[in-house]
Amino acid sequence: MWLTSKIKQILMVLKPGVVTLKYPFEPRPVAKDFRGQPAWDHHKCVGCGGCAAHCPARTILVRDICQELRIMIYDGARCAYCGRCADVCPEDAIVMTEQFELATGDRDDITVTMELFMLTCQRCGRCYNMETTNMIDKMELKGFRYDHLEMRAVIPKATERFDAKVLEATERYERPRT
Amino acid sequence: MNAVEVARKLKEEFGAAVRATDSPSPDRLFIDVERAVLRPVSNRIAALGGRYIVSIGYDEIARNGTLGLVHTFAFDADHWAAAVRTSAPASDPLFDSITPDIPNAGWSEREYMDLLGMKFVGHPKPKRLILADDWPEGVHPLRKEVPYNLVPPAAEDVAYRLDEAPEGTAVIPIGPFHSSLHEPEHFAVYVDGETIKGCDYRGFMTHRGIEKLCQTQVSYNEVPFVAERICGICGSVHATTYAQAVEAAAGIRISRRAEYIRTVILEIERLHSHLLWLGVAGHLIGFDTVFMQAWRVRERIMWLSERITGNRKTYGMVVIGGVRRDITPEIAKEIEEVLAGVEKETLVLKKSIIGDTSIHRRTKGVGVISKEESVRWSLVGPVARARGIDIDVRRDHPYAAYDDMTFDVPVVTSEDVWGTLVVRVLEIFEAIKILRQALRNMPSDGPLLAEVGEALPPLRHAFSLVEAPRGEAAHYVITGEENRPERWRVRAPSYPNLQAVPLMLLGDQFADFPIILGSIDPCFSCTDRVAVIDARTGRRRVLGRQELENISRRGKG
Amino acid sequence: MVMGIVYALVNVLVFVLLAPFYDGVARRLTARVQSRKGPPLRQPYLDILKLLGKENVISAEGWPFRLAPLSAFASILAVIVLVPLGAKANILSHRADVITVVYLLALGGVSVLLGALASRNTFAMIGASREMMTMIMIEPVLAMTLIMTAVKVNSLGLQGAMAGVSASGFGLSTGLMLAVYLLALQAFVAKQPFDIAEAEIEVLEGPFIEYSGPNYALFKLSMMLKQMFYAFLFVSVFLPAAGTGVYPLDILIQLAAILAVFVLIAVVGSTNPRLRIDQAVRYYAVLIFLSLCAVGLALKGL
Repeated sequence: MWLTSKIKQILMVLKPGVVTLKYPFEPRPVAKDFRGQPAWDHHKCVGCGGCAAHCPARTILVRDICQELRIMIYDGARCAYCGRCADVCPEDAIVMTEQFELATGDRDDITVTMELFMLTCQRCGRCYNMETTNMIDKMELKGFRYDHLEMRAVIPKATERFDAKVLEATERYERPRT
Repeated sequence: MNAVEVARKLKEEFGAAVRATDSPSPDRLFIDVERAVLRPVSNRIAALGGRYIVSIGYDEIARNGTLGLVHTFAFDADHWAAAVRTSAPASDPLFDSITPDIPNAGWSEREYMDLLGMKFVGHPKPKRLILADDWPEGVHPLRKEVPYNLVPPAAEDVAYRLDEAPEGTAVIPIGPFHSSLHEPEHFAVYVDGETIKGCDYRGFMTHRGIEKLCQTQVSYNEVPFVAERICGICGSVHATTYAQAVEAAAGIRISRRAEYIRTVILEIERLHSHLLWLGVAGHLIGFDTVFMQAWRVRERIMWLSERITGNRKTYGMVVIGGVRRDITPEIAKEIEEVLAGVEKETLVLKKSIIGDTSIHRRTKGVGVISKEESVRWSLVGPVARARGIDIDVRRDHPYAAYDDMTFDVPVVTSEDVWGTLVVRVLEIFEAIKILRQALRNMPSDGPLLAEVGEALPPLRHAFSLVEAPRGEAAHYVITGEENRPERWRVRAPSYPNLQAVPLMLLGDQFADFPIILGSIDPCFSCTDRVAVIDARTGRRRVLGRQELENISRRGKG
Repeated sequence: MVMGIVYALVNVLVFVLLAPFYDGVARRLTARVQSRKGPPLRQPYLDILKLLGKENVISAEGWPFRLAPLSAFASILAVIVLVPLGAKANILSHRADVITVVYLLALGGVSVLLGALASRNTFAMIGASREMMTMIMIEPVLAMTLIMTAVKVNSLGLQGAMAGVSASGFGLSTGLMLAVYLLALQAFVAKQPFDIAEAEIEVLEGPFIEYSGPNYALFKLSMMLKQMFYAFLFVSVFLPAAGTGVYPLDILIQLAAILAVFVLIAVVGSTNPRLRIDQAVRYYAVLIFLSLCAVGLALKGL
């Protein structure tokens, strides 16, 4: 029994041969519809904040630094790559890319900051992006705007207690001068 | 004995002490009892054939000043489960411990001593279980008044007191970091020479309050993704269990097609998990060729998962109301192809190891625990099936599309590690069988996601059971008012199985420790319920090499 | 005289330079059995160089801890300098007999124990106790092998004993001893199923757990040398074909045979789980009994 098992084990090995990949030296394509690092298309984004409201890891921050300017920050350090943001985005502004080699020593490498120009609706006071259709009302979940007083109670605290540094950075945010 | 009969019997025997019974569906029975009869009622249910699952404690202080406690039991042969509910005023949170009769309740009760400040009269080992050693006394983090992100100051001079070592034994510390544990936990193994005479366990080192987090921070449909990250191996199981519990509580019906897709995902996960375990078991007895070969076969499943779900392991497929991605005919074809290959290769693998006497020598008669003891300790999954207990949630409490599937539940009676190995290898082929049926019979239409109303009804209780690869996972959900669960209790399969490990170790050789512990496929993080979410602020910094070295050498002479 | 010194130097050079190569071959083969590509053959050399360049963490007080790697390395060096590589006795071979070799090998084992016990690490202690048991049970098999050949030539001299089989030809006793030696080979070289003392899963490399850097490099190198020595012993005792008389050719033939032994070691090692110490001890006991039988048969002249 012992010997036959050993022979079978050796035979089992012969057929598949060596399966080691030359991975870091040869690229390994990922499957179609892979959920890698999310990427934002700032042309499409209307700044609704749906992604921030649905992010299980609370890693997307929405912040209005003034009436017209909304900043969205994605901090990849905590991202779980679930792809919920891409699912809920009404404008398909978020796609899950094929990028997965994201190890880095510098957090800024995987942090994405996006600055959106918003206009205020003269009737209701809510924000929308003038260039595209207002999709805000289609969002079922309320409470994505951080500094909307009424909504503050429903805003996840984790956003407020985000990385202190990132939070601080948004408070001192200045537009790049041209 | 079915739910109606048991309800009648209990009412007859305990009279008014059984306040109410409620059966929202034929397979669930909620029994509200007076605190005084909790222990006799639980014992009576156990005597009628109820298998203890888990206890749930919850805080209702704001609502009516009480702390609630639920013991759950499964009647596997009759396909239903019972929950015994009771409560006690927060000012006097005394309950009778059921641990002396049902030893597996030990951890649940210790958990609520820590987290809710309950007290259990007659508990045989009322030591701290979950909270860190330096956590202040009297702060019970699962109570609603305690903020989720409370960080009490750390203390240096407190340490867990291990059990007294039996006379004439030496203590071998296994953990918190040890190569046969893949996660930080601490076993103190008392050995006499090489023979194990006892063992104390101090775990929950990765407890980061995932239940509290989901009860206070995120919303219903974000929890599945957090739940999925409870465990790196059976993540989808936890997401499904949670989603099913919420769906049961809110009365959401999901489409048959979504149920089939869930079945496919769960079985693919089982395939990968069984092959993973087979490899790990080989590694633990020093047989790395089995390890590498099993994982080589498994790799095809990982690529398949990536193809179907977009990720190798965290599938992210299950949400409340259904699934996120479809299985198209071309994906179904790819699954069939991979299955054919995996089946063939697993068969070769099975043939080459099942008769190997050198493996028999390391696994037969090792980690023995008798069938009676296993029933008493409420073991689940392959560990129980290796000891002659014929239970399988997929057959006994069918969920998803398992009621349409025909499959065998392998049961062996060798009562040792070898039995576990046989059961898990055989289950690989059963999983392939189920997958083929599921792909063949899957309805071609039906929405992936059911319409979920604006708000789910609050304060409904429900629990759901799912057969994870390593045993039964149980989630208990109380729906809440703020678009998130009021209480969510996770019980992973390792939770009951791990409690019986000291019993399995007794009298075995120290060299067998890794494989005995490995045989239950312990998932400490499941047991501890880890969250990947770390909401602490300001503490993040990158440690350099020198700092790490200094930390690792601190305390050394 | 001069040639004697040259032969001794060649011994040391060949062993120290090639031991990592054979280890590399074994690793490569193990990888192939596991469907892996495996590390390049130069990897063991790089490992040793890397370890030599690392910080030497002295985690235990006292001189035994520092001395152990040195004495382990020194004793195995002393063994290999004595043996007649290429069937040529060197200047030292004449001054040693089989007892010396057995003692020096035991000294290597004792050094490992010394280091392990000095480190006062729980896992090292378990490893040491297992190592001790293995030593007690497996050294007799080695001793019996050498004594059997010594019986054949009626001399305890090393050179004579090593050539004992070729001198007297194969008999019943030689055949039995060859089988016993093969069965004990994995235990000699501490590979699966007998890598019990170092079992990484249970006792985390056991005796070596507290060693790092150059100290560990010495241990590692002496382990490799020991493995090569046991393979060499098998070749030179049981395969007396290397008798062309041309010194470099003889060495090459022996090295090729050693390679074959390593192939065997790797294949057996990679297709077996580790045994428990109690199971191993029972196995060793049978081997000791059989090797005693072989010596008995040799005394009878069979």
